Amino acid sequence: MDTGKILVIDDEDIVRMSCQRILAPEGYEVKTTKSAVEGFKLLGEECFDVVLTDLKMPDIDGIEVLRRVKEEWPDIEIIMITGYQTINTAVQAIKLGAFDYIEKPFTPDSILSAIGKAVEQRKEKKQDKGR
Amino acid sequence: MKIKPRKTPYSLTGRLLWTIGALMAVVSTIFWYFLITYQEKELIANFVKYGMSFVDNVRKTTRYGMLTFQEILIQQTVEAVGSTEGVVQIKIFNCKGKVAHSSQKKDIGIILDSKSPACLACHPPDKSHTFTPRWSIGKSEEGFRVLNIVQPIYNEPACYTSACHVHPKNRKILGLVEANLSLALLDRAINQQSLAITIYVFVFLSVISVVLCAILWKFVSTPVSILAEGMKRVAAGDLEHKVEINTRDEMGELAKCFNSMTSDLSRAKTELIEWGHTLERKVEEKTEAIKKAQEQLIQSEKLASLGRMAAGVAHEINNPLTGVVTFGHLLLKKFPEGSEERQDIEVIIEQANRCSNIIKGLLGFSRATSAEKGGENINTLLKRSLDIMSHKADFFDVKFITRLDESLPLVKAGGLQLQQVFLNMILNAVDAMDGKGTLTISTRNIMENGLAFAEIEFADTGCGISEENMTKIFEPFFTTKPVGKGTGLGLAVSYGIIKDHGGNIIVKSEVGRGASFYIRIPIG
Ligand SMILES: Nc1ncnc2c1ncn2[C@@H]1O[C@H](COP(=O)(O)OP(=O)(O)O)[C@@H](O)[C@H]1O
Ligand SMILES: [Mg+2]
Repeated sequence: MDTGKILVIDDEDIVRMSCQRILAPEGYEVKTTKSAVEGFKLLGEECFDVVLTDLKMPDIDGIEVLRRVKEEWPDIEIIMITGYQTINTAVQAIKLGAFDYIEKPFTPDSILSAIGKAVEQRKEKKQDKGR
Repeated sequence: MKIKPRKTPYSLTGRLLWTIGALMAVVSTIFWYFLITYQEKELIANFVKYGMSFVDNVRKTTRYGMLTFQEILIQQTVEAVGSTEGVVQIKIFNCKGKVAHSSQKKDIGIILDSKSPACLACHPPDKSHTFTPRWSIGKSEEGFRVLNIVQPIYNEPACYTSACHVHPKNRKILGLVEANLSLALLDRAINQQSLAITIYVFVFLSVISVVLCAILWKFVSTPVSILAEGMKRVAAGDLEHKVEINTRDEMGELAKCFNSMTSDLSRAKTELIEWGHTLERKVEEKTEAIKKAQEQLIQSEKLASLGRMAAGVAHEINNPLTGVVTFGHLLLKKFPEGSEERQDIEVIIEQANRCSNIIKGLLGFSRATSAEKGGENINTLLKRSLDIMSHKADFFDVKFITRLDESLPLVKAGGLQLQQVFLNMILNAVDAMDGKGTLTISTRNIMENGLAFAEIEFADTGCGISEENMTKIFEPFFTTKPVGKGTGLGLAVSYGIIKDHGGNIIVKSEVGRGASFYIRIPIG
């Protein structure tokens, strides 16, 4: 089945676990890492549809991840997870090309709907390219 | 108050009086002396003239007797004339110095010594021989002055040609007539006149003194005293005091000058006092401003550190909360609708959401202070906040009225912060009205203590705020709303934000009729 491949980058175990448990049953292929560095390594090795990244992490923060991903893999959609979203950072993220942002604590539904839309958009882009 | 001039000899009047008095006394004395001596001289000269003619008369009346050599007749005549009032004695000397006739018989026959002063006057030792009628003044034994007149009896043809042939032809003077006339009457007259003059001088002096005194008193002493008193009062600080001298002389001029000086002083003083007040007020204002700035700084610092802490807490708590919410939801799906387990899990999720709300409220603090404050249009911010709200289904029964003053200038503020405040106000009002009522939002320019503010008023028709809650509503975590609905952080955060902008929030409310929140933000 071709639902999409998701990479979750978050330093918190419980957040990664939550995403795993929400997304896996819906048929998504989920990989999780606890640091941006590891995330970049995985991104280099495999092909992902959507990256879910925490905004605030100890080594490299979410905005930086967003920037790097948009540079190297512009097709990948990015959704930001934020503990304390401010309109400023959200606007900044959207400006930098993030697909959406989700506030913590999130509900399964909010994650699923955001991911669903992102994957759909990704697929549309692929089709456009394929033609 | 009646002002009494001083009466000591050292006062101006005293000295003037003394000087003028002494001067007048001296002048009058000299005048008096000369007048009296002149009078006396004149009187005596007249008297002498009279005496001379008297003696001349004696000589002439006795002439016939002499020529006819009737000694008895001569003696009788002399006695008769000598008994006249004022005549002390009449003597006739012959050429040998012997008293030939006298009004007092006892003196007849006395021969004057040739060395006696009476003889020496005409017969000086050098033998020169002159004689003219003479007079002198002496003193009688009774004590009054006596005029002594001596006249020669000249030889004439009738004498040496008469029958008796007593006198040779070559003799020039045949004898002397001496009369002693009393000056008593004259002296009495002189004394009376002197007395009159003295009295006159004294009366004149006193009148002049009294008049002078009065003039000095009225025109110098009294005004000077009034002026001195006025100066004393002015010196004591009574600058409203006016000197009342309305004369047209130098005193009046002085008083006028003095009054204008006092009023100038008074004006200067009031100006000074006013200036002092202004200064005081300015210092007070500045102190107040500094205090306010300091408070604001402390408030900002407090808020900022509270915000940092809130952000940290939020970050830490949000992750576990995410786990709780996620796994709660996952678990929820495993139980059939309506089962007891499902209800329990729903409670867990609900409580987790409540925690999340509290954290969101706390996060307000982390955003209460903004690094950059740009020029924000309050009206635009308000409209945007209302836009967000009015689309919510809960607000369908709320009537929003806006009365925005379009002349409101831009304020230096954090736009997001202000928007959050406005959202809090609107949410609170809607809550208080339980979803139905009218919320009137107005903006205006106001002046307070000389400072310009933009005022935003949120007036609702809700339940209002009770007296006892009034003091607590700005405290963090104070809420009257049911658990899960209110966090009690909205107003606390709003207050923090407005204070951070140097503004203020004022509440007016009447229980049951509604509440009005006035937010004031300084302009410029
Ligand atoms: N417009 C209003 N009318 C009546 N009461 C109000 C209004 N605004 C605030 N309050 C009172 O102030 C309390 C504190 O408000 P707030 O700090 O915003 O917290 P919360 O709204 O979460 O209760 C509220 O619980 C309410 O009792
Ligand atoms: Mg509130």
